[in-house]
Amino acid sequence: MTEGPAKKVKIFVDGAEVEADARDNLIEAARRVGVSIPYFCYHPRLSIAGQCRMCLVETSDAPGRLVPGCQVRVKEGLKIVTNSPAVKDNQRGCMEFHLVNHPVDCAICDQSGECKLQDYYMEYDHQPSRIRVAKLNKPKREIFGPLVVYDAERCIMCTRCVRFMDEIAQKPQLAVVQRGTYSLIATFPGQPLDSQYAGNTVDICPVGALLNRDFRFQSRIWFVNKSPSVCTGCSNGCNVYVEGRGNVVYRLLPRRNEEVNQVWMCDQGRLTYHATNERRVQWARTGRGENAASVGPRIALERAAELLRPLAGQGSVGIALSAQCTNEEAAAAFQIGAQLRASRYFLGSQPAGDSDDFLIRADKNPNSRGVRLVAEAFGVKLEDAEAVDGVKALVAMRTDGLPAGKLARMEVFVAIAQNEDAASAEADVNLPCESVYEQDGTLINWYGRLQRTWDSLPAPVGDAAPGWSWAKRLLDGLGGVGPTSAAEAFRTLAAKSPHLEGLTFEALPEDGIVLEALLPKEWPARAPRPLPGAHSIRGPRPPAVKVGDEASGGSR
Amino acid sequence: MTEPAHDQDPLALEAEIPTSLMTVHLGPSHPAMHGTVRMTVTLDGETIVNVDPEIGFLHRGFSKSSENSTWHQVLPYTDRLNYVSPILNNTGYIMGVEKLIGLRPTERAEYLRVLGGEISRICDHLTCVAAIGLELGAFTVFLYAMEARELLWDRIAELCGARVTVSWTRIGGVATDMPPGWEQKLRDCLPRVLELTDEIDTLLTRNRIFVDRTRGIGVIGADEAIDWGFTGPCLRACGVNYDVRKAHPYSVYDRMDFEVPLGSAGDTYDRYILRLLEIRQSHRIVQQCLSQMPPGPIIIDDWRYALPPKKEVFGSIEGVMAHFKLIMEGIQVPAGEVYVYTEGANGELGFHIVSNGTGKPYAIQVRGPGLPILSAMPRLIKGHAVADLIPVFDSINMIGGEVEQ
Repeated sequence: MTEGPAKKVKIFVDGAEVEADARDNLIEAARRVGVSIPYFCYHPRLSIAGQCRMCLVETSDAPGRLVPGCQVRVKEGLKIVTNSPAVKDNQRGCMEFHLVNHPVDCAICDQSGECKLQDYYMEYDHQPSRIRVAKLNKPKREIFGPLVVYDAERCIMCTRCVRFMDEIAQKPQLAVVQRGTYSLIATFPGQPLDSQYAGNTVDICPVGALLNRDFRFQSRIWFVNKSPSVCTGCSNGCNVYVEGRGNVVYRLLPRRNEEVNQVWMCDQGRLTYHATNERRVQWARTGRGENAASVGPRIALERAAELLRPLAGQGSVGIALSAQCTNEEAAAAFQIGAQLRASRYFLGSQPAGDSDDFLIRADKNPNSRGVRLVAEAFGVKLEDAEAVDGVKALVAMRTDGLPAGKLARMEVFVAIAQNEDAASAEADVNLPCESVYEQDGTLINWYGRLQRTWDSLPAPVGDAAPGWSWAKRLLDGLGGVGPTSAAEAFRTLAAKSPHLEGLTFEALPEDGIVLEALLPKEWPARAPRPLPGAHSIRGPRPPAVKVGDEASGGSR
Repeated sequence: MTEPAHDQDPLALEAEIPTSLMTVHLGPSHPAMHGTVRMTVTLDGETIVNVDPEIGFLHRGFSKSSENSTWHQVLPYTDRLNYVSPILNNTGYIMGVEKLIGLRPTERAEYLRVLGGEISRICDHLTCVAAIGLELGAFTVFLYAMEARELLWDRIAELCGARVTVSWTRIGGVATDMPPGWEQKLRDCLPRVLELTDEIDTLLTRNRIFVDRTRGIGVIGADEAIDWGFTGPCLRACGVNYDVRKAHPYSVYDRMDFEVPLGSAGDTYDRYILRLLEIRQSHRIVQQCLSQMPPGPIIIDDWRYALPPKKEVFGSIEGVMAHFKLIMEGIQVPAGEVYVYTEGANGELGFHIVSNGTGKPYAIQVRGPGLPILSAMPRLIKGHAVADLIPVFDSINMIGGEVEQ
């Protein structure tokens, strides 16, 4: 997408003058003055289909006729009318036809509450149907692929999913088959919908036809709270919404950020929340194996301090941290290291995986850049966690990539661990760590974008607390000083790192800040990147763009 | 050491005993403190020096609760404003919402609302008279009034499905029509209600004890009553001809032939007498409603506001979607601000409603008729004997639910 200088044209929407971008279609132009033209098939990032006919409006160019607002571009002096009787009549007629074969499914449909059919029916139709024909029966649960299931009866044939797979995912795995009212969406024989971006078809589906198999029947959408965060699946750092209730996350949805993920995210990323719900270290405990006992945070911390205190300053303590840590957690880990005068530092991480030229990066850790930046700020050299050795005691801020066999031989091993794994099983003291989705913090993505995360769940799992909070309490026991909040941890870090100079935690924008010195020289072909003139560490913030927040509210 | 005074002067025994003021708490949990209110009474012997009515024991956070409820979910809260005549509150609130939308209910619904409202008014007045009789020792009056009220509440239960918590009106109409045979049942029981009212009339109105205890007690003049914000029977007892049904006719009251009884003295007795007279006027309105009521739908047929029929909800996608949106997100009421006032059983019942164009009210405040009148209690009772407090308090018929929102 090349962004040339925007040429402005003046048009009139229902009599109101609008200065529109010359590339706008009528829907986007009307949106600029808060006039919403309804649509199902149009999507700002996909090609135009003109499939649903909901967006028909009157224009001065074609008096007496209705033209599709998605397809027609603005031109100087054009007058459009979105509320005339003819337009309203068409909208009502469209809705009536869209619903002819729609099953009475709201009560069992995951889309209920974020369904465009429901919204538009109440806004533009709100009448009983006059059509008396038996509804067509179509396939109700076609498994399209690992993440997506299709209900043909609910489908209104907008073809957004087909166009998405062709144009954005660039894996044409979906197609329209059959004719007329019998048409439906289908995969090709022997070819499941297995693209890594298949989940986005569920988001852009305006109705409940395509559903996420992972989320299906798990929760009604009005029971979950939506909170912004950053995906922890890889180093791209896609902006997401975490939807959860109590201490359970139900799903992740992409959050719009032009410079990171546009409005998309990958399927691997969508599933990262499972680590927040499952296999959690719940309670602070002491002892390994059979001797393990949940003793509560206070006694566990006392025990940890008791074990570590005699070894402090003897050059036999190591600190391990993970590329899954937030910057605040990493900084706090180095504070423990300084207090114990640790001799060696180890960095663990999730193993690298597949990558592509769009949103998926090979580094499956959200904060490799960040942890290295923090280490640099504290003047610490990081070694690979595989080589963890040569120390009597180890304090681990998250346990990713730590070799359990070597930990078993460690005299003292204190772990601040999120999930139960081979490494956390070897810990003398286990302090349950909150996941990134549960805590305030910052991450730095692969190209050097500093992004905020937020505490998205009101209730903690067991004793779980952010890593920096455990570090602070441990430091209290060791006679040191630790951060009392994520903001304070960031402040400590920003004072040490030239990259973060002048930044404060509270003032970080919701969509992040680019640390210019970290920007790479080479970019994957389609990877979103900072827009020219966009906010860098010193630059101004770009104006908020209103068009096309398509994925961030389900289908809207 | 000096001798006590009376030892030297026998007349000292006859001297006035110097007394100090005594403060007594009446209520909140006292049988005569209807609606859970506390009176902090300052007494000089038997004489009331001051009364400080203290409300708050029945506070339910009506306004705040309403802001977190959809427009229809507010309805049950209005039942509990004046729980003796809930249909009148339902109607007042729903009229406000309808005014915001710019909607008229069906004609039959208008008649049903007036019919239900006037039955409720009779119940409210019967309750007031029952209490005033009971607490002056006339237990028979209480039993008669309760018999009449039970007859009517049974009819209301048959009509709405509940005696008190009726939640009967709907935006654009009412929830239920008269069940088959109900009209005749009502016609059959109304004469008995009037008979019992007459019975009460003969027992109290010319009863020497009752008249002595109520006439000239708790007097307030017309101008002063207006200044205090009196409305309803308490204001009309002072001779002020103000009844919202006549002064600003709403619903189908302009088609009803009824009179507004007026008192003159503004005392407890007149407030009692007014209620008896109004019961008879309400009875006239009920009879006219029954004879004038047209057939037709009881609620408008517009799925933006009225729930679709259950057949459509379970059997058609249009119905289930309308139902879902109305229940989950609420009726979409245009942004605006209205004040709607109706004649409640005890005076002007006003709803000030602000909408920001969503499925939930932005703000609702209620002008309950009871609060201004209750606040005049000190003015009404000062200088009277402590025994007069209860009849005066009975006669203003404070209802806790609407005084404390």
